[in-house]
Amino acid sequence: MTERSTGRNPAADNAVMEIESSKPSGNGLVAGLSPLSETLWRETTSVEIIGDVSARLTWKDLTVMVTLSNGETQTVLEGLTGYAEPGSFTALMGPSGSGKSTLLDALSSRLASNAFLSGSVLLNGRKRKLSFGTAAYVTQDDNLIGTLTVRETISYSARLRLPDKMGRPEKRALVERTIIEMGLQDCADTVIGNWHLRGISGGEKRRVSIAVEILMRPRLLFLDEPTSGLDSASAFFVTQTLRALSRDGRTVIASIHQPSSEVFELFDQLYLLSGGKTVYFGQASEAYEFFSQAGFPCPALRNPSDHFLRCVNSDFDKVKATLKGSMKLRFEESNDPLEKITTAEAIRVLIDSYRSSQYCYAAREKVEQISKVKGNVLDSGGSQASFLMQAFTLTKRSFVNMSRDFGYYWLRLVIYIVVTVCIGTIYLNIGTGYSSILARGSCASFVFGFVTFMSIGGFPSFVEDMKVFQRERLNGHYGVTAFVLSNTFSAMPFLILITFLAGTVCYFMVGLHPGFEHYIFFVLCLYASVTVVESLMMAIASVVPNFLMGIIIGAGIQGIFMLVSGYFRLPNDIPKPVWRYPMSYISFHFWALQGQYQNDLAGLLFDNQTPDQFKIPGEYILENVFQIDTSRSKWIDLSVIFSMIVAYRIIFFIMIKFSEDVTPWIRGYMARRRLQQKNGIQNITVAPDGLTQSPSLRTYATGKKLTR
Amino acid sequence: MEIEAARGGGGGGGSGRGAYLVWEDLSVVLPNFSNKGPTKRLLNGLSGFAEPGRIMAIMGPSGSGKSTLLDTLAGRLSRNVVMTGSILFNGKKKRLAYGAVAYVTQEDVLLGTLTVRETITYSAHLRLPSSLTREEIKSIVEGTIMEMGLLDCADRSIEALLVMEEQLFSSVHQPSSEVFALFDDLFLLSGGETVYFGEAKTAVDFFAETGVPCPSRRNPSDHFLRCINSDFDIVTATLKGSQRIRDVPTSSDPLMNLATAEIKARLVEKYRRSKYAHRAKARMQEISAIEEHVNEIKSGSQASWWKQLSTLLRRSSLNMSRDVGYYWLRICIYIVVSICVGTIYFDVGTGYTAIFARAACGGFITGFMTFMSIGGFPSFIEEMKVFYRERLNGYYGVSVFIISNYLSSLPFLAAITLSTGTITYYLVKFRTFRTGFSHYVYFSLNIFLCISVIESLMMVVASLVPNFLMGIITGAGIMGILMMTSGFFRLLPDLPKPFWRYPISFLSYGSWSIQGAYKNDYLGLEFDPMIPGDPRLSGEYVVTNTFGIPIDHSKWWDLAAIVAILVSYRVLFFLILKFKESASPLFQTLYAKRTLHHLDKRASFKKKPSFPSNRHQPLHSLSSQEGLNSPLN
Repeated sequence: MTERSTGRNPAADNAVMEIESSKPSGNGLVAGLSPLSETLWRETTSVEIIGDVSARLTWKDLTVMVTLSNGETQTVLEGLTGYAEPGSFTALMGPSGSGKSTLLDALSSRLASNAFLSGSVLLNGRKRKLSFGTAAYVTQDDNLIGTLTVRETISYSARLRLPDKMGRPEKRALVERTIIEMGLQDCADTVIGNWHLRGISGGEKRRVSIAVEILMRPRLLFLDEPTSGLDSASAFFVTQTLRALSRDGRTVIASIHQPSSEVFELFDQLYLLSGGKTVYFGQASEAYEFFSQAGFPCPALRNPSDHFLRCVNSDFDKVKATLKGSMKLRFEESNDPLEKITTAEAIRVLIDSYRSSQYCYAAREKVEQISKVKGNVLDSGGSQASFLMQAFTLTKRSFVNMSRDFGYYWLRLVIYIVVTVCIGTIYLNIGTGYSSILARGSCASFVFGFVTFMSIGGFPSFVEDMKVFQRERLNGHYGVTAFVLSNTFSAMPFLILITFLAGTVCYFMVGLHPGFEHYIFFVLCLYASVTVVESLMMAIASVVPNFLMGIIIGAGIQGIFMLVSGYFRLPNDIPKPVWRYPMSYISFHFWALQGQYQNDLAGLLFDNQTPDQFKIPGEYILENVFQIDTSRSKWIDLSVIFSMIVAYRIIFFIMIKFSEDVTPWIRGYMARRRLQQKNGIQNITVAPDGLTQSPSLRTYATGKKLTR
Repeated sequence: MEIEAARGGGGGGGSGRGAYLVWEDLSVVLPNFSNKGPTKRLLNGLSGFAEPGRIMAIMGPSGSGKSTLLDTLAGRLSRNVVMTGSILFNGKKKRLAYGAVAYVTQEDVLLGTLTVRETITYSAHLRLPSSLTREEIKSIVEGTIMEMGLLDCADRSIEALLVMEEQLFSSVHQPSSEVFALFDDLFLLSGGETVYFGEAKTAVDFFAETGVPCPSRRNPSDHFLRCINSDFDIVTATLKGSQRIRDVPTSSDPLMNLATAEIKARLVEKYRRSKYAHRAKARMQEISAIEEHVNEIKSGSQASWWKQLSTLLRRSSLNMSRDVGYYWLRICIYIVVSICVGTIYFDVGTGYTAIFARAACGGFITGFMTFMSIGGFPSFIEEMKVFYRERLNGYYGVSVFIISNYLSSLPFLAAITLSTGTITYYLVKFRTFRTGFSHYVYFSLNIFLCISVIESLMMVVASLVPNFLMGIITGAGIMGILMMTSGFFRLLPDLPKPFWRYPISFLSYGSWSIQGAYKNDYLGLEFDPMIPGDPRLSGEYVVTNTFGIPIDHSKWWDLAAIVAILVSYRVLFFLILKFKESASPLFQTLYAKRTLHHLDKRASFKKKPSFPSNRHQPLHSLSSQEGLNSPLN
């Protein structure tokens, strides 16, 4: 531990030295860098010889301000200085609300657009935005596809991102190595698990999330609370793996909430925060001394980390006040200095003594030293797989998921068949009697109205898919187009199966217009309508991420569509403004009914009210009873529905693009204006047009957590 | 302990009269009848005691049997396990009834819209005797808040708390040192076996004596758990497998070199012969001898039926009015949809096409719009969860719950009905304002009853399918069938006679509602004929001939039929809840007998270490997932 005080990390040194030594040989193996990483880096860097690919991160006088919706600004981080080196594992610690996540966001360029950053964050001495791929960011929530096994999850991810040139066996070998590296070999063939499928444990899930991110061998790894929600053994395991990853010459930074003593012992560097200020930054093992020197020695039989957090958590003041008020706590006479002064005071003392300590001085010096060295520009630019490869892999993964998730399509298939059998028995052998005219109309409207309505049932599964998509999108695994295409293609076989089975049952039991062409039209129309509902729900899901709101809004829209479809109110009777133009033309039910009525009635002869009267031709009914426009071919009606599918998918695409690019820009602009109006500060770097969905952001946006 | 003093003062119980609990040689077995898997021993011969005024921490790694022990002591074991050994409550062998113990499970099933104080206050009102004054109740509430606040702020990992009159158990996963210092007694479990039982303070000495002293820079409770958590063996093995262990700091950790399974075995063996075990045994015998503290076990709830009802009613109304997703959202949607319907059928008139338009409008309102009542299902599921928990704790009865739920939902249902009914009725202009008031009243009553029936139907569904998604799908399926047989999509006379006409259409509220609605709407009106010049069609003719509905009984009888359906759904709901309660102990007895019979034939149990209890891997209902708990967050 003593050689650390010279400021160099032995493991990193070794790694760097080995890299240096391997330079001339060119194709020799680089230590700490797998052959794969080597290829990866060579692919993208224009430099001939691979130089030092390690990531040295420094931040100096980092201050982050957040504008709240009421125009107030709040300083979330204040003048932080520190560094993270290759081969070391840095832990950010602090009570909740101390700014751990914000610091992590600031370092990884994921700050919300209403956050303003001043000071400098340098990677290898260069000021540049960390792009996808250079750094990996593992969030707290493990959004994984529940029906895939661990091995499948990792290998699909590998195929999504690794270059096409890389051979299959190589990819497989890399996947296997990652599995072993993360200690997942025992559960490699177990499914991840979801709400109805029992799968791997929470700790294993977390390790899978990390495994997916380290596939591309990033040099810099950010983790937001990787141990939250895990039991002590799993937390220890995860931390141990992180430490091991750092020993390969990577730079690992993690925020950790309440480490147990085993976990704490694995940290190299400790950054202790309270209220956005540095309480301590330095070797984790020396924090103990620092607290003693500052007058807060850790009592015996207590975890150092517990003690540090106890000292800097001002919530304890509140607890004490409450307890005093209720006379519950007889203050025991102890020589614990914390009992004598308030935590707020203790924090002040600690911050002051850190500022004047050798640790602070050493850190600043080290930051200067590192930032002077202009290292290589690290940029691997996210996924290296081609668009086709991405789309193909995603389609395959999505198909596997759909076929394994019972709730996605299988449940619907069962329900569709049950419902169509019900319809079939109710309208059994409908015939061409007088009463069958209306019955045929209502049968078609029930099929296209309520049966398609039930497609909503797949919404929960789709929302799960969206979550995975959002995580992977944020980490740059693939683009929106690939996702939309893959979802369309993978769902197709299931939808065809469902609608053909259900349509066939319905068609033959009811005895609709005979003729193969009529049968095909009916089934195709059903398929198109169900797919439109799916696409509509997709578009809704991109706007309202909440599950229940999505279902309610989807149901409402479909209800209105149904109302103006021409069955509940005849087309000519629908009030012209709004409802007839444009609503009924937007409604896919309208087109489906226009087509299906023609398909079903045209060419048939129906009995009149009394047998002695003339028979009524179907065309007459179409025009006079149902008010259908017979001048338009039913196939045109069908093609309108198909084009609606495309339209909704495009809307979905645009909505996602919009929320990714435009919304953050607007929010940032608004926040900047508010700030300028308030106090006219000019020299502030606005957070780069980063991503909005980082987990710690919402709290600032609403300003809930920080009102202390 | 300070806590106890406060409780004693508030609760009115003296410190001398408390509940002593002793358990001896307690074993819990999860049998496996399919002879493939081994029989799992969840608890293995545990003995211990709990005294009033002391807090005991039950600690152990996940799967060590903490929750099983708590469940056993609280008489809450699930019915697929078998228990042997004895539990003495105040020296008497006694099965604890609902309510003698309060049990706070780790799942935190609380109504999300109520504040902490409200939650505790309402449950106090529900359970404390009516004789206490408001002030007394308030002081108890404040006391409880303090207590909980104390434990909560310090650490959030307290998983379950068993408050037994005046003694407190707490099962903890990983307490911080502050929290650990609050405990008097410690029960340390691993793999269902006692590792240590005695005073919390002396546990450090015991570990030191056994050869695994707690390092000075480590919290004792962390150390204890680290020593007995055999998961660490697996971690070490896996790490070794992936050759990651090369860089483990060995300095302060003697444990890395020794398998935890070994340490655990040593500790268990050592404890059996230690002075702590002897001391505990002596004390247990002492307590068992004390028989004079015969404390009348208070029945679950001491509050009167009326008091319970009014409290529940208030709480339920408060919850409904605060939860936007329960009714408010639906009221908004109903208003929006009503305006849509009203403008689409605006001034429908009495033309020839109006005959169908009126029918379609009525069909849409009773069919589709009542369908939207499904929207409140998630909120209702949440309320059901709270009900199950409180019912287990014996707060109140099933009937109180059902009545209070219905009464508190009445104002909201009325609001939905009034807004929907008024907007649609007067926009569509079924009748003129002056002549049609009684028709308007009928129209609104009809909507009101339909929505109530759907609500009751969803309750029945909720009590049968615990899963949220299945509930919505089942509910929607049933409603679809009811809608199809209601006489709108297929005229009643045309419905196939077997099954669909009899009995389904008679059981469907929709068919009665549509019959009533048609009679209400058409009778007394005259419509234009299809070909101008023909005689005008009378409403009676339309109802009987076009829609095939007999007009031999009055529209009010149709309404009465819906009321009958409504009542029978509620009764069904009540019966299901009652049946579920009374059936489970019965099954339990049968099951235990069968198991014991089965066990006689087997020589020994194959032991499987570290069986994870169900509690730690709950099958999450979909509603507990993100975005569903509070639908609008």
